[in-house]
Amino acid sequence: MTSTLGYLGRRVVHAVIVVALAYFLTYWVLFALPGDPVRNRLDNPQNPVPPEQTKVIIDYYNLDKPAWQQFFVTLGRLFHGDLGYSLGTGRKVTDLIAQGLQSTVLLAVLALLVAIVVAGGIAILAVFVPSPAVRAVLRAVPSVSLATPTFLVGLFLLQVFSYRLGWVSAIDTESPVSLVLPAITLGVGVSPSVTQVLIHGLAEAKVQPFVKVLKAKGLTQRRIVGRHLLRNGSIPALTLFALTTAELIAGSVIVETVFNRAGLGFVTEEAVRSQDGPVVLAVVLLVASLYSAINLLTDLVYPLVDPRIVITESRVRLRGGAGSRRERIAGAAA
Amino acid sequence: MSDIGQDTLVRPTPQTQASARAAARDRPGEAGRSAASWRRTARGIAAQLSVLDVLAAVFVLLLVIAIVAPRLLVGYDPLAAAEGHTLEAPSLHHIFGTDYLGRDLYSRLVHGTSATLSASAVALIVGLVGGILLGIVSGYLGGWVDSIISRVIDVLLSVPGLLLSMVIVVALGFGAVNAAIAVGVSSIASFSRITRSEVLRTRTSAFVEAAQHQGSSRVRTLVQHILPNSLGPVFSLIPLHFGGAIIWISSLSFLGFGAVPPKPEWGLLVAEGRQYLLAAPWLLLIPGLVIVITVLSISRLQHLASALRKALS
Repeated sequence: MTSTLGYLGRRVVHAVIVVALAYFLTYWVLFALPGDPVRNRLDNPQNPVPPEQTKVIIDYYNLDKPAWQQFFVTLGRLFHGDLGYSLGTGRKVTDLIAQGLQSTVLLAVLALLVAIVVAGGIAILAVFVPSPAVRAVLRAVPSVSLATPTFLVGLFLLQVFSYRLGWVSAIDTESPVSLVLPAITLGVGVSPSVTQVLIHGLAEAKVQPFVKVLKAKGLTQRRIVGRHLLRNGSIPALTLFALTTAELIAGSVIVETVFNRAGLGFVTEEAVRSQDGPVVLAVVLLVASLYSAINLLTDLVYPLVDPRIVITESRVRLRGGAGSRRERIAGAAA
Repeated sequence: MSDIGQDTLVRPTPQTQASARAAARDRPGEAGRSAASWRRTARGIAAQLSVLDVLAAVFVLLLVIAIVAPRLLVGYDPLAAAEGHTLEAPSLHHIFGTDYLGRDLYSRLVHGTSATLSASAVALIVGLVGGILLGIVSGYLGGWVDSIISRVIDVLLSVPGLLLSMVIVVALGFGAVNAAIAVGVSSIASFSRITRSEVLRTRTSAFVEAAQHQGSSRVRTLVQHILPNSLGPVFSLIPLHFGGAIIWISSLSFLGFGAVPPKPEWGLLVAEGRQYLLAAPWLLLIPGLVIVITVLSISRLQHLASALRKALS
């Protein structure tokens, strides 16, 4: 038990270090390099800032002090829940993000469901369909969807279902129906890696001896696949959860732009367009924290889901001779 | 879209390469091969190729021509507007139709090939050089240097590639080259990870120990012994990352952070086509399809390369 606690502690420390480093590096890249966004805003000849405001801005960002002092002032504000003000709109960054977050979380959750259904469906068919030709075609699906940019999928769906068939309004972004196409686009966009891992996991589980036992016991194929193989084969896909979540948020930049939805992705896109450093920094902080937190959670839940995995002194390891699947998946994910 | 997804596609097989190399060393000179054995090799390669491989190779060849000598493929100026011929549907004169200024889409696509692919090449080189350097330093030196570099790589991995490239675009400013660098930086992490693990593996192998006992200096051991035996799996990732870079570059231009109009970059063509989704869907679909086919063909080349390697070694 103590070793588990120690492991937990080390993992938490590691996650905190990664998030802190992400914040520090992003801050450094955005603000300390030449081309500082605040300075750019002040020196913008097309949209001059009145002198009295200039003084307020210089005071707020401590532009007259050295860079490291500016960093610590910003960091101090962060610990008080203050992410600063958007350079483009002048609004509080926390407000901007809170406003966009709800719509994006809804989109991301739906997209995740789409991704799970798509990946699960394709993987089951790709492993268990009797015809080898169909299996080969289905196994090629992840690489084809990897080769298809997300914006293309979105625009294609928009073209077919909004403009040609007129099923979904292209302008409406409020009603629940308007979520369907964006969720499909985003879900399909993040599905290929999940599909690949699922296909691999199912194919590996299929040839294990316990399947023969189940067959000998007289279980139907449907039951073997549904109750036993799917559980076994989908465990490796769990390791992709953090990555998929982070990708959902990053992908929402493109999907929300294509479908004109006001969400976090749209806020990010606008922030990049107007070189709005504080907003970009806050988004990176959010995504990196989310990724690290979910990654940590997955690693902790993993032994509960797959009892063959035990947490040892140094790292997570597979018990017994079932092959080091966990480590191989981790290696593939690295 | 993801590095990770792509990595799972390719399982680097250092063992097979090492054994292939060993086999090559055992065989006496290549000159001793007879014409018949060459023919057999050629047939062996042909037997391993599918129709798709051949199609992919032909398409990549066309792309190369489009980069080196675009005039061979097209008769129209990609930037010449033609009044009265705007938004024409595909026809014999304009096989892919014309855009809102009457510019021939086919010739814009052909001329845009070099813009998109050279940006992807820049991204690939940035990622490759950065990743290999970090991976070597961290794998070979180990200790605290390794810890620091590994944490930085963890950070790069904790931010999704598209977001990371957008952060770098904000820092560097918009433009084709900056977008390419940004995409390159976001692929450093996966190149570095694999280089590091390969260097770690090779560093402890018997022949490296033997070289060290014979008095080979650290640098010499690294350059002469460790690197040649570590980089194979890294290089085998190139086609996949090149394909990924094409998608990211065109995504960034689609969002308006990359190449600037009127440059006929592929992502820009899609973005321009987006405005005429209803009136001229081909303006969107054809450039989109070209992007997809290009990425698929390039990742197919991987099969081709491994077939060649298998047949020749």
